[in-house]
Amino acid sequence: MLNFIVKRLFSGLVVLFFISLVTFIVLMWIPGDPALLSLGTDATPEKLAELRESMGLNLPWYEQYYQWLTGFLVGNLGNSYVFGEDVFTLLVQRLPVTISLAVLSMAIAIPIAIVIGVLSAIYKEQWIDYIARSVMQLGDAMPQFWLALVFLVFFSAGLGWFPVAGFTPVEEGFFASLHSILLPSIVLAIGQIGPLIRIIRSSMLSSLEQDYMLMTSVNGFTKFRSIGKYALRGAIIAPLTIIAMQLAGILGGAVLVESIFALPGLGRLLLMAVEQRDLILLQGIVIFVTGTVVVVNMVTDILYQIVNPMIRFGGSHE
Amino acid sequence: MMNRLLHLENLNVKDTHNHELVKGVSLDLYEHEFVGIVGESGSGKTLSVKAALHLLPNDLGVTFEDSEVLGKSIIDLSDHEKRRLIGSGIGFVPQNTVAFLHPMIKIKHQIGDAFIYHTKANKKEALQKAEELLVKVGIKEPKRVLHSYPVQLSGGMKQRVNIAMALMTDPKVIIADEPTTALDTVVQKQVMQLFNDLYTNDGVSILFISHDLKIVKRFCNRIYVMHEGKVVESGYTSEVFADPTHSYTKKLLRLIPSLKSGRTRRLG
Amino acid sequence: MSKLKDNKLLVFGLILVMIVISICVVSFFYLPHDPNAMNTSDRFQSPSIEYLLGTDQFGRDIFSRIMVSSQYALLIGLVSVTLGSFLGLILGAIAATSKGFVQSILMRIIDGFMAFPGILLAMMLVAVLGKGLWNAVIAIAIFMVPVFARLSYSLVLDQKNNLYVKAAKSYGASKGRIIFKHILPTILPRLITQFSASIGSAILIESSLSFLGLGVQPPDASWGLMLSESRQYTLTYPFLAFPSGIILIITVLGFNLIGDALNDSMVKRRASA
Repeated sequence: MLNFIVKRLFSGLVVLFFISLVTFIVLMWIPGDPALLSLGTDATPEKLAELRESMGLNLPWYEQYYQWLTGFLVGNLGNSYVFGEDVFTLLVQRLPVTISLAVLSMAIAIPIAIVIGVLSAIYKEQWIDYIARSVMQLGDAMPQFWLALVFLVFFSAGLGWFPVAGFTPVEEGFFASLHSILLPSIVLAIGQIGPLIRIIRSSMLSSLEQDYMLMTSVNGFTKFRSIGKYALRGAIIAPLTIIAMQLAGILGGAVLVESIFALPGLGRLLLMAVEQRDLILLQGIVIFVTGTVVVVNMVTDILYQIVNPMIRFGGSHE
Repeated sequence: MMNRLLHLENLNVKDTHNHELVKGVSLDLYEHEFVGIVGESGSGKTLSVKAALHLLPNDLGVTFEDSEVLGKSIIDLSDHEKRRLIGSGIGFVPQNTVAFLHPMIKIKHQIGDAFIYHTKANKKEALQKAEELLVKVGIKEPKRVLHSYPVQLSGGMKQRVNIAMALMTDPKVIIADEPTTALDTVVQKQVMQLFNDLYTNDGVSILFISHDLKIVKRFCNRIYVMHEGKVVESGYTSEVFADPTHSYTKKLLRLIPSLKSGRTRRLG
Repeated sequence: MSKLKDNKLLVFGLILVMIVISICVVSFFYLPHDPNAMNTSDRFQSPSIEYLLGTDQFGRDIFSRIMVSSQYALLIGLVSVTLGSFLGLILGAIAATSKGFVQSILMRIIDGFMAFPGILLAMMLVAVLGKGLWNAVIAIAIFMVPVFARLSYSLVLDQKNNLYVKAAKSYGASKGRIIFKHILPTILPRLITQFSASIGSAILIESSLSFLGLGVQPPDASWGLMLSESRQYTLTYPFLAFPSGIILIITVLGFNLIGDALNDSMVKRRASA
């Protein structure tokens, strides 16, 4: 158990290190001259030299990487060229919007996916199952930006149920804030629901085939009771890990959704960084987002081990 | 004539590809009997017993002429009555090899479920009864076992818990499906002794499925021999062993030479 | 029974993909209108005989633009997934056949790539390489690498312990020979399955990139770009959102269905074997 945690932490750290290296190499090395890339070809030589100096480009690459990495560890991500502000500050400013979007969309997607996934497993090969699987396929095939566009046209512009654009901070009222991100969250939720239903359905199907389900029939329990207590309990743990993996997808979707609904989140910031070729800012966002994904995955993997009594006490599956 | 506790007449089971898995099997279990069903795996013994308890999945084609449980014809009963009759009247002890105990639920949260469900007793009464039964099946630290997950228990302990669980509703019949496979010989003996005690001291009738001729010979007073979905021979144990009529039974007996020498030992 | 249903899924998926492929093929020989011809007097036309799916904000024929876009979608999907699957297969096979340190380093690299949300990795690369079609292809290909690397890794690992592979090893066949002669043919069906499903997601990423203005550049046409260009007019002309959106869904759904149906039948065959 402890062994596993140490191993998992170590492999997580290796992945983090690798990500930082790749990000550094891709953004600082491949472009040739990042300063030139940021300023464009019409930059004056003085300005270029100044930016090179401030970006530390005159040092050898490994020293640049070392400085960047140590800076990163103390929260110093450098200065955004476009905004002229500290990247870390920019991230912190934009974070609430994206976190609210991610949390709300999960809060919408998970319960719905559990209900649909469980029902489609219980009524396998019946109409509920067919509908669930169609929803799944359609959810997978529908581009989120398109869905966002269509929802905007219908629910915001057409019916006027939601604001067309913009974010209301929590300080101006919880429900007003919720209202401003509800529609984008629903769009994000629809994007996640396919994979979620898939994993919950298959986990539930395998639980229903387990021998403890035979015992519930021997004991004469109703279907409701045997599913409610025994089948669900056996099905609920495996999907935990996939929910963490969804995070990468949500953050990716947030880029598109934020851009369409004009929400000032990380995704918009990222798009600006790419459009303006603000490499320092881009680097900060990439490291932050992927780092979050890695850490969350690591934590859920460890939690999974702790929550699951078969692993906690058994050390191995029987 | 003693009370007939289980009765199954002319059972046929077909799988989804229309292969016959069980062909015309009839079984009976009377009060105060210890009956064995012997046969190799795939002979249809587990299927037949599951059919008697109406546990087979719907996609198998199951037909029979008559099926009685505890003196009641199963065809006349509603779904609810069927569940109540079987759930409270019959205890089932499964093979030990797989997860019949729910791996994610502590023993104390599953052992009393059937008892609470069928007798409307509360949780405290159920736990008390479970503790007594665990002691009875030879568990020395019942409290610790109750607070454990199945994975924390050894194979023998788990099988004792399975037996205690089957006894919770004070059933008249225990059906045991290969309950001693995957147990080492010492534990195997202890578990068999437990069944024998239940049979002799508590008057529980036992239907015992096994491929182990030695055990069957020692404990059962009547047996059915199954082969390729059919009952090829049945009768009192001593008679079948002394004078097998079917070629398959003869072959079976020849495979275990030690049986001949063990014949003089006491019969269960 | 269930085999029949899988076939239905497969057939449905094939029909959808065939629709898109025929549109693509026809577009090389015949287009109702010049897809880039602007005609300001005919802006925002509703569907008619003249303009089957109406016209956009510049008066261009939407149907012709959709037809031309299919070329880009299929091209980008095919090329990027081919590139990505090839690299992924090599990486995965090396990881599976190497030992200890090399193996764990390779696997961590694959894990690292997996941690990048697809669109983020693509955007990062586009920022460096510049906007445009071929850079989008490279970005999507790199996104596909870890997917195929993971799959090939586990498939090769499975096969490595098979008897015939051990036999080949025992008479001294080289590593490369074993992989290409013995292992590759057996794992190919699974890779093809993943290939089909991946084309769906590659097209999805391409359209997202183009929608953000980072993929296919005007005046070329792409479904994502069409949606992006007409974005500010969709509130007044909602119809603009549908033609390119629906053809995009049809394409992605088609490839996904084929992938799923193939995968299901393979799982079943393995279970019954």
